[in-house]
Amino acid sequence: MLRTSLRSVRAVAPGRQWQVSRRAVLSGQRFYAANTTHPNQPDEPKLPPTTPSTAPIPPPPTPSSTVATKPVPPPPAATARTTATITPPPPRRKKGFFRRLRNYLLTLIFLGAAAFGGGVWYSRINDSFHDFFTEYVPYGEEAVLYLEELDFKKRFPDAAVRATGRRPDAEQVKIPAQSGASWRVADGSEASGRQHSSVQKTAAAKVAAQPKEVPAVAEAKQETAKLPAAESKPKPEDKKPSRAAKKKAEPKPAAENAVVPAAAAAAAAAAPAAAAPAAAPASASASGWRAPEVDEPSRWPPASPIDPLAVPHAADPVVQDLVRMLNDLVAVINHDGAADKYGPAVGKAKAEIGRVGGKIREIKEQAEREAAQQVKQRVDEFDRAANELVARLEGALAAQEQQFRREFEHEMERLRQSYESKAKLVQERERQLAEERLGNQLLEQAVQLQRQFANDIRKHVEEERGARLGRLRELARAVEDLERLTAGWGDVVDANLRAQQLHVAVEAVRASLDDARHPRPFVRELVALKEIASDDPVVGAAIASIPPAAYQRGVSTPAELIDRFRRVAAEVRKAALLPDDAGVASHASSYVLSKVLFRKQGLAAGDDVESILTRTQTLLEEGDLDNAAREMNGLTGWAKTLSRDWLAEVRRVLEVRQALEVIQAEARLQSLRLEQ
Amino acid sequence: MAETPAPSTPSRAVSRPVSEALLNEKWDRCLSNLIIKSTVGLGFGVVFSVLLFKRRAWPALVGVGFGAGRAYEECNYSLKAAARDIKRNKA
Repeated sequence: MLRTSLRSVRAVAPGRQWQVSRRAVLSGQRFYAANTTHPNQPDEPKLPPTTPSTAPIPPPPTPSSTVATKPVPPPPAATARTTATITPPPPRRKKGFFRRLRNYLLTLIFLGAAAFGGGVWYSRINDSFHDFFTEYVPYGEEAVLYLEELDFKKRFPDAAVRATGRRPDAEQVKIPAQSGASWRVADGSEASGRQHSSVQKTAAAKVAAQPKEVPAVAEAKQETAKLPAAESKPKPEDKKPSRAAKKKAEPKPAAENAVVPAAAAAAAAAAPAAAAPAAAPASASASGWRAPEVDEPSRWPPASPIDPLAVPHAADPVVQDLVRMLNDLVAVINHDGAADKYGPAVGKAKAEIGRVGGKIREIKEQAEREAAQQVKQRVDEFDRAANELVARLEGALAAQEQQFRREFEHEMERLRQSYESKAKLVQERERQLAEERLGNQLLEQAVQLQRQFANDIRKHVEEERGARLGRLRELARAVEDLERLTAGWGDVVDANLRAQQLHVAVEAVRASLDDARHPRPFVRELVALKEIASDDPVVGAAIASIPPAAYQRGVSTPAELIDRFRRVAAEVRKAALLPDDAGVASHASSYVLSKVLFRKQGLAAGDDVESILTRTQTLLEEGDLDNAAREMNGLTGWAKTLSRDWLAEVRRVLEVRQALEVIQAEARLQSLRLEQ
Repeated sequence: MAETPAPSTPSRAVSRPVSEALLNEKWDRCLSNLIIKSTVGLGFGVVFSVLLFKRRAWPALVGVGFGAGRAYEECNYSLKAAARDIKRNKA
C-alpha cells in the first residue's frame, strides 16, 4: 500500500505535488509544534502518505530516509558493499583456518549482498516479489524504499529540495507557513524582511529569525485571539486558519466582525492557498509597527494612524468590495508611509463609503419594507382570492347537490310510477288468468256431467237389452237340449247296432279258431271285427296285441299242441342229464342213460327235468295251457333250448285267446251300457 | 324218427330247424363227419401200408384212428360252442 500511495502521489501533476509537499511541510511543522506545545493534540489526518510511513518508525531515524541526503547510507546493502569492497585483501595475507573461515564468511556475505541487491532490483520490477521481499527479508523494505525515494528525487528535484530543506530542522519550517501567495508578493523588496516564503530563506536567515519570530508569532496569536471575542477557541483557530480559509466556511465570521483587519483581508483575498499567509501579514505588520515605534519613535508615529475601514454593516457584496478596495489602498498607503498625504482623501473616501453603505442599507431597508408590504398585500390578495374561490366552490357544490337531489327525487318518482304500472299490469293479468281458469273448470264440469249422463243412459239401455237377450238365450238352450235328446236316442240305437255287430264278429273269430282241425288264418274275421269296433280303443289295443304271425297262419289247436309236446318231451328227456359244458361223451352218456330212467306220473314234485315234464303233460291233459307254459318256462340249459319253439307256439295261442276274451268283455260291456 | 311230424311242419323246418331237432341235427353231422374222416384215414393208411409197409394192417388202423379222432374233436367243439351260445343267450 505504501507503494500504491507513492504511485498515486507520483501520478499527480508536479505543481500539485509541490502543493501537497508544501502542505505536508506545513502540517509537519505544525505537528511538531503541537507536539511541543500540546502532546495530547491528535495528529492531523491530512498528512501526506509518506509521513505516516516514516512516523511509525521514529526509533531509527536513519532508515526513514525519504529526506536523507545521498552520503547517508541507511540500508545494509551499502555497508555490505563497502565491506565487500574493503575486505577482499585480507584473505590473501592470512593463511590457515582463519583464512578459510574468513573466505567462507566473505563469500557468504558477498553472496548475501548480491542476493539482497538482486532482490531489491527485482522487487522494483515485479510487484508480487516486491510484496514478498519487503515483508520477509529484513531491511528489504527500507532498501527498496530508499531506492524508490532516490528515483522519486531524481524525477522531481524540487520536491526533493523542499523535502530536504524542511526535514533537517523542523522548527524553522513553522515560519514560512504563515507566508503565502497574497497581494503582498508584488513588492518583492521587502520579501526578505517579510518572509512570505520559507523556501527562499537561507539557512543563516533562518537561524537569525528563529528566536525573534517565534515570540512574534505567539504575540500575533494572542492578539488575534483577543480580537475576535466571538471565537471561543483561540488556539485551534490559530493553527487552522489555512484550512479554514481553504474550506471557505470561515470567512463569514471574520467578515462580520470586521474589526480584525487581517480577517477582512483574508475574506477579501478569498484565495485558498493564501489564507494562511493572510494571517502572517497581520502579525507581521503588527510586529512592524511596534518595532519601529520602539526603534525610531520620531519618524513613524503619524504614519500609522490610517486605520483600515470598518463598515458596521458590510453584508452587501458591493460594499464589501468597496471596503476591500479601500482597505487595499489603505494598506498600500500605510506601507508606503504616505498616510499623512492621503489621510484626508482616504478619510473622505471612508466617509463616502460609509454613506454609501448607509444609503445602500437604507435602500435595502426601504426595498425590504416595500417588499414586505407587497408580500403582505399579495398575501391578502391571495387570502381574499382563496376565500372567494372557496365560497364559489361551496356555492357550486351546494347547487350541484340540490340539482342532484332534484334529479334523484325525479328519478325516484319515475321509478315508482313505472313499478306501480307494472304491478297494476301484473294484477290485471293475474285476474284474467284466474277468470280463465275458473271458466275452464266450469266447462270441464259441464263436459263431465254430460258424459255421466250419457253413460247412465247407455247403462240403462244395455241393462234392458241384456235382460231380453238373456231370455232369448234361455229359450235357445232349451231347444238345444231337446235336439241333444233326440240325437242321443239316435246314438243309442247306433251303439246297440255296433255292439251287436261286435258280438257277431267276436263269435265268428272264436268259431273259426275252435272248429278247425288244423290251424287256419283268421285275418278276414279280424278285419271285420276291427271295422266294426274302429272307434273303440280297447278293441283296437286288443287286436294290436295279437302278433301278426298268429292271424296270418292261424294258431295251433290244443290237440296239436299236446301232440307236439310229446315229441318235445322225448327230446328233452334225452338231454335231461347233460352238464353245463357238455361234450360228445356227456351227450352220448345222457342219451344212453335217459333210456333207463323211470317215468313219473301225475303232478310230481321236484325241480328236475323229468318232474317238470310230467307236470306239464298232466296240465296239458287237463287243458290248462297257461300253467303248462309256466312249467315249461322253468326249464334251463339244453332242455329250455329244445322246448323253445313249443313255448312260443303256446304263448301265441294264449295271446290270441286273451285278446278275444278282452274284445268279448268289451262287447258285453257295450251291450250292458246300452241296456242302461 | 325225425320224419314223424305233420306235413305242415316240414315247411317250417326247411326255413329254420325246430328247436327240439337241434341236438339231433348235431348228432347227424357228427356221425357223418366221423364216417368221412375215418374213411379218409383208412384210405391214407391203406396207401401207406401198401406203399411203405409191405401190406401190414396197422398203418390202415392208425389212419382210421386219426380220422375218427379228428371227427370226435370237431363234434365236441361244435357241441360246446352250442352250449356256450345257449348260456350267452340266457344271460
